[in-house]
Amino acid sequence: MLNRRLTLTVAPVIVLGLALSACSSSKKSSSGGSSGSSGGNKPSFTIAYQGPLSGGNAQLGLNMKWAVQLAVNEANAAGDLPFTLNYTEADDQGSGDKSPAAAQQLIDNKAVIAVVGPAFSGATKAAEPKFADANLATVSPSATSPTLADGGWSSFFRVVADDNAQGPADADYAVKKLGAKTIYAIDDASAYGQPLEAAFEAQAKKNGAAVTHASVPGTTQCQAGSGNTQQYTGVATTVKNSGADTVFYAGYYCDFALLAKALNAAGYSGHLFSDDGSLDPKYIQQAGANVAEGTYISCACADISNNPAAADFLTKFKALAGFDSGTYSPEAFDAANTIISVLKTLGTKATRQGVITALKSVDYKGITKEVKFQANGNISGTSVYIYQVKDGKITSLGLAATS
Amino acid sequence: MCLTQHFWGYFIPGLANGFLYALIALGYTLVYGVLQLINFAHSEVFMSGGFGGLFVVNWLIGDKHPSGFASVWYVVAGIVAGAIFGGIIAFILERVAYRPLRRRHAPKLAFLISAIGMSYFLLSLAGKEFGRDSRTVKSPFTMTPSKPLLTISGAPITVYDAVIAIAAIVMLIMLDRLVNVTRLGQGIRSVAQDADTASLMGVDINRVIAQTFVVGGLLGGAAGFLFGLGGAGVSYGMGFTPGLKAFTAAVLGGIGNIRGAMLGGMLLGIIENLSQPCFGAQWVDVVSFIILVLVLLVRPTGILGERLGRSA
Repeated sequence: MLNRRLTLTVAPVIVLGLALSACSSSKKSSSGGSSGSSGGNKPSFTIAYQGPLSGGNAQLGLNMKWAVQLAVNEANAAGDLPFTLNYTEADDQGSGDKSPAAAQQLIDNKAVIAVVGPAFSGATKAAEPKFADANLATVSPSATSPTLADGGWSSFFRVVADDNAQGPADADYAVKKLGAKTIYAIDDASAYGQPLEAAFEAQAKKNGAAVTHASVPGTTQCQAGSGNTQQYTGVATTVKNSGADTVFYAGYYCDFALLAKALNAAGYSGHLFSDDGSLDPKYIQQAGANVAEGTYISCACADISNNPAAADFLTKFKALAGFDSGTYSPEAFDAANTIISVLKTLGTKATRQGVITALKSVDYKGITKEVKFQANGNISGTSVYIYQVKDGKITSLGLAATS
Repeated sequence: MCLTQHFWGYFIPGLANGFLYALIALGYTLVYGVLQLINFAHSEVFMSGGFGGLFVVNWLIGDKHPSGFASVWYVVAGIVAGAIFGGIIAFILERVAYRPLRRRHAPKLAFLISAIGMSYFLLSLAGKEFGRDSRTVKSPFTMTPSKPLLTISGAPITVYDAVIAIAAIVMLIMLDRLVNVTRLGQGIRSVAQDADTASLMGVDINRVIAQTFVVGGLLGGAAGFLFGLGGAGVSYGMGFTPGLKAFTAAVLGGIGNIRGAMLGGMLLGIIENLSQPCFGAQWVDVVSFIILVLVLLVRPTGILGERLGRSA
């Protein structure tokens, strides 16, 4: 028994160590634009970006950095601004330990009028008290932790729906749009899946559907979990016998694919519904195109590939950054442009406090969504998008609420 | 009662998974038999076999869509490839992590640490070389057809269940004969009974120990391939939990006892799947381990008892 306990204790430590060492290839970010240099006799404002620019999550940060820079460049190039915009950045490595210092750096730079970021929830939580004290507005493209909106920080805004939005939006879509009456809701027993399932279940019951809940730990090939490849066969039998017309899975694509296959083999033919953890082409690959066909998947992330207004953004982003627009690039572009639209209305007399006040009532039509904020800084509306597997591809069906 | 309906629907996949546990458990029990040590790197032998089988089968299948009789050969090729890879890794493992320590008469704890070290080395190496995502084994047969192979009172038996059962039964019988009839089996049993005496009688202990590791590796590697066929594919971390479960199964049946490992594996697989409809999937491990503790309270040496050297 001692031996087994030893392995169990040692395992996470060593795995963590390996993960950290594997991720330590940091990229030096080029300094993005000169701050403080004013063009001609126009006054100048600086829009800052705070997010991970080095470390393991640098790619996510770079996705956003270049989008912010593109927004600034375009605004200057349009030539109708009564001021010049500059860009600066602060690297917080996505970590709560580093972000207060990064925030201080931006606060001390008096030219900075507003910040896009911080990118990550933990970094936002640690830095936001400083921003709030300095009356410096932050518009995050990607921090989704629900508790951030409860901080009471007047400076906090985000253009992405929080994690709590997805579950209820999924439940509304399943019950009201798909007509689900008996739902079998399964979570993967993870910190991500369980709250999502709970939120889904509560809303689905409110909508009048009967919900059966099961918690099924993931399998070992997909994540740390049970070593039983056959467990979904049993679960599928249970689901089939329950007579459910919809299965909701709160978890990731790898396990969802196994579940979908088992359900198919058991003769289940109702709806399949999952969340952003399953929004990955690998789901279709692993479940098989015929099994995955028709599956509904939700995500707070927008699909802009069908939006004509975004086509220009995609081309220009690639030209500037040298790689394709990625996760949260469009959101960062919207966040920056929301700030720029506010600056336009405020004109040359804009102040940090003025930007915060104006953001409270902003209504800006971005490429991902219409940006309007609630009093706590959250984006208005659910802005959860529904996708469906059609002809072996994940296709966007648009916003959950409006589609 | 939760099991009155659809009993076989839960029993059959449980038995199939139990066969896999049994194949892995034998690796633990064989090594324990000759060394009185738990080889904690066996889970990575299992993982290596999974990758070996995956590469060979995916290479053989290519873009073809095998069916019928041809599928059988692909499955056999995968099992053999998995077994060979498992055997090779187990052999190297013994050479690198066990033999040098044995020569220096290291304390038992040193073997344990050395095995854990090898385990993490192999785990990390596979993760680095083959990626952190799971890799799918191309299935040589249609895995989830709407119509199963046959049904027992409404419960489907899939092709996969049948493949596991047939492959496992063949391997278990082969092992049983190997240990009881052949010269190698005599060697294994003699070392397990009394290594010093066996040595005085002219048995090359090092050779027997190496061969025992290889036999365990063959079975574990084959199980790795069969496990990967199950849909989610193989991944660098796939060995950890099944390894732990198989070790549990070996203890349940009686560690060091070959038939005990077989029985323990099958029992654990069945108990797991039967407890799912009754208690819910999140309680499966709790129920299994409560049963393990209860069995050990009544029979501290496992169901069939610790029968070192007397394999049958």
